[in-house]
Amino acid sequence: MNVIEVAGDLYLLLAALGLCISVQYADLPILGQSAFVAVGGFGTLQLAQHGFPLGLAVPLSVLMACLGGFLLELGAVRLHGASLALATWGLAWLVAAVLAAFPSVSGGSQGLTHETPVRFVSHWLGVAVTITPTAHLVIAAVLCGIVLLALHRLDRGPVGLDLAAVRAGPALAASLGVRVGARRRGVLAATAALGALGGAGSALLLGTVAPTDVSPLLAVQLLIAVLLAGSLRPWGVVGGFAVIAALPHVADAIATAAGAPPQRVRGAVTACLLVLALVLRGVLRRFNVGVRLLGLAAGDDRDVAVDERAPARPTTLVQAQGVRVAYGAVNALDGIDLELRSGEVHALVGPNGSGKSTLLRVLAGAVRPDSGRVEVTANPTAADVARTPQQTVLLSGLTPLAQAAVGARASMSVTFAGLRHLVATPSSAPYARALASRARQQLAVVGLRHRAVANPAVLGAGEQRLLQVARAAATGANVILLDEPAAGTSASERTLLADAIHAYAGNGAAVCIVEHDMRFVRQVSDRMTVLDAGRVLASGDPETVRRDARVRRAYLGDEDLTR
Amino acid sequence: MTGAVALQAVVTGVSIGVVYGLVGLGFTLIYRLTRVYAFAHGDVVVGAVFVSVLAVIGSTPVARAPSIPTSVGLAVIAPVAGAVLSASTYLLAVRPYLGGVGTTSGEAVGWVAGGIAAGLAIREGLGLAFTQQAYAVPDPLHLSALKASGVVTLTGGATVPVRTFGVLAIGVVVAVVAHEVVERGRIGLALRATSDDAEAAALLGVPIERVVLVAFLVAGLVAGIAGLLAAPAPGRSLSVDAGVILGLKGVTAALLGGLGSVRGVLVGGVVLGIVEQFTVAWSHLGAAYVDVVPLAILVVVIAVRPEGLRRRVPEPVL
Repeated sequence: MNVIEVAGDLYLLLAALGLCISVQYADLPILGQSAFVAVGGFGTLQLAQHGFPLGLAVPLSVLMACLGGFLLELGAVRLHGASLALATWGLAWLVAAVLAAFPSVSGGSQGLTHETPVRFVSHWLGVAVTITPTAHLVIAAVLCGIVLLALHRLDRGPVGLDLAAVRAGPALAASLGVRVGARRRGVLAATAALGALGGAGSALLLGTVAPTDVSPLLAVQLLIAVLLAGSLRPWGVVGGFAVIAALPHVADAIATAAGAPPQRVRGAVTACLLVLALVLRGVLRRFNVGVRLLGLAAGDDRDVAVDERAPARPTTLVQAQGVRVAYGAVNALDGIDLELRSGEVHALVGPNGSGKSTLLRVLAGAVRPDSGRVEVTANPTAADVARTPQQTVLLSGLTPLAQAAVGARASMSVTFAGLRHLVATPSSAPYARALASRARQQLAVVGLRHRAVANPAVLGAGEQRLLQVARAAATGANVILLDEPAAGTSASERTLLADAIHAYAGNGAAVCIVEHDMRFVRQVSDRMTVLDAGRVLASGDPETVRRDARVRRAYLGDEDLTR
Repeated sequence: MTGAVALQAVVTGVSIGVVYGLVGLGFTLIYRLTRVYAFAHGDVVVGAVFVSVLAVIGSTPVARAPSIPTSVGLAVIAPVAGAVLSASTYLLAVRPYLGGVGTTSGEAVGWVAGGIAAGLAIREGLGLAFTQQAYAVPDPLHLSALKASGVVTLTGGATVPVRTFGVLAIGVVVAVVAHEVVERGRIGLALRATSDDAEAAALLGVPIERVVLVAFLVAGLVAGIAGLLAAPAPGRSLSVDAGVILGLKGVTAALLGGLGSVRGVLVGGVVLGIVEQFTVAWSHLGAAYVDVVPLAILVVVIAVRPEGLRRRVPEPVL
């Protein structure tokens, strides 16, 4: 191993770390990192050949890659998991095809060249710096170190909270007020930028870049490095990358021993490593190795009173009129009118398949009605609507306190909170404390204060339901939609839940719950709407509705609701 | 571009497009049943051809018209090899990472990487035996022998190899048979039931595991035939590495056709083939763009309409 090899590997590690941001932090399977490395390498040398000073060529090519990342995000809005992988795999091959087709861009199979060692000359500053391989080594190592530390720190700040929600699913993240699009844009731009930076550095170090250096095989190898890191992000990537760096040496040794073509053996070894990475991933998961709970760093344990909003006089916060939703030939909702008022708990009941959950999704804006209108009064200080899904979705790897803090972020949004945390501005520590304090407060409302730093996996089913409610309420939304919050809860947990729901309404929120437990519904609700086959069967105060003969026939088979 | 050249581009494009359609057909079939993108499918196509060559001729084929036994051997072994490669890819590289048949649960990165590893393994494994850059593959179907001159003169004076028409005819027949199998009959019913709702189909007694395996086998079979149609074109040679691009062109055909029906994917393939041939024939672009344009179409289409141009598959909602 000489200095040049190590420095080159460190530049590629930079690209691997960039890929890690997308794959490990945001759960975006990117298979086209080689494309961004190519933009960096070829972009820099092309610009240099066209007379741009290197000090400008490198940032410009990185910027170009960033732009590519942004464009990718435009598509990624609609791309789910595998289709993003397919799109980026296509991108990697597209770039390879372009490089093969246009020798004017790629310099043919020999690639582009540049004199080494690179000299940065600035007449303006009156300096000329020669970057020797040793200097490259230092620069690459410092860059890798900075990225590793930054990732380590970002993960423990507001960005880490947001990304944990994004990993659990874009729909869930959006329901907690996380700006999913902005986060993904940032992630993809960072991935692209680091890929391009690695490509540019490597091209300047070697004084050459050829199409074979940035083939889609590189994208696969970088992905292996990231997968080998398992859940040990970001430090595990260094280990994963060490394996990839050793790959050519091992493959060439095998090739020499077996008398086989080295390129082929490299490909075959890459395939084996990819399989190995997948197997290891499964094994690590089974033994739960390396699962680290993300807590909140700062925060004193002072009791903070539940924020008391002045109970305003009941105003209509949500007005739905004539809402229709069809799934194929089935009318899930067939002309629904509904009104949610502040300070009121509104229960939606009805047999399975009557459209309750669909209605909640429509009210939350997650499903667009085929016809009809939903008007939601805007909330100037926080999210408009928060919703808990029907099935429990936990944010894996986050303590209950951190999970509530994800929601709390929506009510305490600060511009560039992630960046401020990264460089530790004076406001970042108080912000973290305030976040933790509000999260703790919301856990207290549902009686989970004592579980603040537990492993979420050991929470009981009922506690997980309560946590989910606290997380949604922490967003500070005016309208809180809860889909079967009492499912799987014990009697004592139902009491806690009822108290919490009353507290939310007492603070002026409009709460809407879907629930099958009639006693619980009677206990908490001020109004009740019965749905049947997508229509409103009856609506009004619970006592009146309960006596409605049609309701009893449709829903309860003449059973007494008060029992 | 003269009318004769345009006509030549259309005829050649339709013929190549039918092959893309057959590759895309396997991809569509697999996608409909499992919601899995078959990343290794292109390598299955090329792999099938080289496996049959290796089995019948050895690792140094020449572009001479093969003898009758050799031809039969190639024509039989290539589809079988395709089916075996496709099914092994499913069993070894895809299935372990699926949450269950018909669901996209389970981790996408697992089966995506599995598929890529399988493709890489097929490619590099064969690359160890076939060490040259590319090979002229003999034509077991003897399609050039349909006419003594080997070419057909079109109106306007441009010529097209007679083999082109043979490829077109066989491709359409295979597609029609595949369409009948997928859309009608007992197997078709089971396939469609599984693709609509795997869980419900399983509860109704459809052996969904076997259905999915059959789909991969059929996809591989068709892939082998597509390989035999595409590979031995006169004046062209096949590289062991050609699979990925061919597979991605098949994906493009499938997406253009809407990831839905057999008919759609065939139309998508033909459209792609014609676009590609016009790109090559048009003086402003030319042969350099033969892979660039289809891949660009793929990236744009998938970014704009990931579910394909026609059908909308409902996304799961929370």
